[in-house]
Amino acid sequence: MPMLLEAEHVRKTYRLGRHDVPVLKGASMAVAEGEWVSIVGSSGSGKSTLLHLLGGLDRPDADSGPITFAGEDLRRFGAARQNRYRNHDIGFVFQFYHLLPELTVLENAMLPALVGVWLPQWLRRKHELRARATELLEVCGLGHRLGHRPSELSGGERQRVAIARALINRPRVLLADEPTGNLDIHTGGGILDLLAERHAAGLTMVMVTHDAAVAARAQRQVRIVDGRVA
Amino acid sequence: MYASQLSNRYLTSRIIPFIAVAAVGLCVALVIIVVSVMSGFLEMVKVSGKSLTGDVVVSRPITGIPAYAELIREIEALPEAEAASPIVETFGLLRMPYGSGDGGKQVEMVEVWGIEPESLDRVLGYRSKLYWKKPAESELAGIAETDPRRDPFFDREAEGMALRAKDGTDGVVLGIEISPFNRRQRDGSYRTTDPRTGGQSAAYFMANTEDVLLTLVPVSDSGSLSGEKKRRFSIVNEVQSGLYAVDESRVFMPLAAAQEMLLLDPRPVMSRTEFDENGRPKELGTGPARATTIAVRAKPGVDPDTLRDAVERAYVRFYQRVTADPGQLVDPPFPDSVDISTWEQRLANFIGPVEKERELMRTLFSIVYVVCAGLVLAIFWSIVQEKTRDIGILRAVGASRSGVLWIFLRYGLLIGIVGSIVGALLAWAVVDNINAIHDLLGTPAPAWLQVLAWIGVAASLALAVMGMVRASALQAVVWVFITLGLAAVALVLLQHRGFLVWDPSVYYFSRIPSSLDMNTVVTTMIGGVVFSVIGASIPAARAADTDPVKSLRYE
Repeated sequence: MPMLLEAEHVRKTYRLGRHDVPVLKGASMAVAEGEWVSIVGSSGSGKSTLLHLLGGLDRPDADSGPITFAGEDLRRFGAARQNRYRNHDIGFVFQFYHLLPELTVLENAMLPALVGVWLPQWLRRKHELRARATELLEVCGLGHRLGHRPSELSGGERQRVAIARALINRPRVLLADEPTGNLDIHTGGGILDLLAERHAAGLTMVMVTHDAAVAARAQRQVRIVDGRVA
Repeated sequence: MYASQLSNRYLTSRIIPFIAVAAVGLCVALVIIVVSVMSGFLEMVKVSGKSLTGDVVVSRPITGIPAYAELIREIEALPEAEAASPIVETFGLLRMPYGSGDGGKQVEMVEVWGIEPESLDRVLGYRSKLYWKKPAESELAGIAETDPRRDPFFDREAEGMALRAKDGTDGVVLGIEISPFNRRQRDGSYRTTDPRTGGQSAAYFMANTEDVLLTLVPVSDSGSLSGEKKRRFSIVNEVQSGLYAVDESRVFMPLAAAQEMLLLDPRPVMSRTEFDENGRPKELGTGPARATTIAVRAKPGVDPDTLRDAVERAYVRFYQRVTADPGQLVDPPFPDSVDISTWEQRLANFIGPVEKERELMRTLFSIVYVVCAGLVLAIFWSIVQEKTRDIGILRAVGASRSGVLWIFLRYGLLIGIVGSIVGALLAWAVVDNINAIHDLLGTPAPAWLQVLAWIGVAASLALAVMGMVRASALQAVVWVFITLGLAAVALVLLQHRGFLVWDPSVYYFSRIPSSLDMNTVVTTMIGGVVFSVIGASIPAARAADTDPVKSLRYE
């Protein structure tokens, strides 16, 4: 099976004050196209850091091994390509939803689509993008909440908006960092059902979680222990 | 696209941007108001100055210019000149018709202009400056029954224009501030008051009082005094030029009388080489009258400098013609010894300091821009701090550093533009109503306003107490400060008996200039926008440098 996203001996060190703290010490993993992988591990093991590196939010150390997406080495990406990678190829879902409070549900869901376009393109594609965002929000069960602000939504509804936002640009990979970590079991189950639907539709997913029951929803689990894949 | 949407939304959905807009607006309004009033003041000084001297002045003090009538014809024939008028300028002593308190009469040192009213009116608008005119029907209601202006035969305007009293004697027109009984009112008009009662008094109406005694001292071309000349004149009117310095000292008298008193009238010319049988110099004939000053008015659209150059050439032609004419017994002064200058050159000593003052004010108040940039910087710093997570989200969904930078620069630009517009509108509202505001400050606060202020104090105090009872520190602190502020306002209203900020006797003009200086408006608005963007740039750069991973981890 061809690998869509691959990390090989990835290293990442953070500097805390005067001390270097190695978080990833040569972690390797690969995700095939259409696969749903869970990254599990204890708190501080480096699972979120690995997810951020896979998503191009952060860069690995200079002596790190490569991270490749569809055969392209992320380390060789310039700033513009990296921005486009995050905008177009990857969708992020975070534990704390991270919606912009000033924007409505519809506007939040459309945000990545707005990042990629200039005014003339926006004017040309406005209706198409609105229709796409509305459709996604309806699929997420929020068709009646389009004009609401995030502060007017429940935790589960906010996470659904975040999922719609992650999917607006039709990314090839969805990266989810503890997507149910801030929700009760029932609501979290609904979110996992929604993610499972998208996966069934062909979406590749990498999900970070410390919850074994949540991790079990994925096809495959990758365990990180002390900065390495166990 | 997202940058415009977000910065627009940031601007309208939070309180902080409104504080920033208010800060920029107040800074912009402050600069516009101060500089506009100063510019208006300068413009009024210039217009008044110009109307006092004409566009160009030909001047030969003391000895004057002989055959000036011919010079005036030469000047009036110029295509650049509208009219010219002869003046005899000197200083004199004026004995007033009222006492000085020590048994004698009050004597004032005055600047005397001997004039031809009709021609001076064509050059300087002399008639329009005569103060006492027949009142219109609508004005009669505000005039006391005993006021001489109610006399159906009252026609001081005609007497002022003729400089001749009804009984045929020569008259003088005095600057309106020379008489201490003319009390200037808030609206710039004058009332003649009785020194004993302070009330309006026809008895102290200057043109109704006794004659004045004017003393002039002729000076020869060698600088020696020829003995003082005294003459009585009737006061026929008073003049209000608008410039206090002029109105407190200038006296207009008939040109011929001034020439006669200063020995500038047509006089016998004696030979220096021929003598009669008694050894006295032989009389060659009668020399022409002289004028010390010729005031010239430019044709509409003609620049004073252009007119001055033309008048200089005209004077040279006049000089050559007169000196070549054997019939002329007296030569005019050399062209180089006659001062021909524009009104701006002549009033440079007066206008210069006012211009310097305005530039000083502009410079000092431009420091406000730095304050504006500092305020925007502080406010944006706190906004970026607050928006760190949003920046992380934007970076996570693919926004570039430059995109994030542009969000906050655009945000600063919007605040600068909106703040500048708000400031310009505020300045317009204040400047347009500055005299009404001044009048309001000058009158005691009405009782209802004082009551309202105290009700406000009581209400805010109650809210502060409620805050304390509910253990809400924010509510308590906010309402305590509002209570203190309202109490201060209420106390000021209680004590306020009206004060005069713009004293007409100090500032020359009765009204505060109330027109916006458009150059200042435009440059100040641009300054407000530029400094807002400068203030926003450092926080914007900080936002662009924000590490998305760190900002998203923060919760």
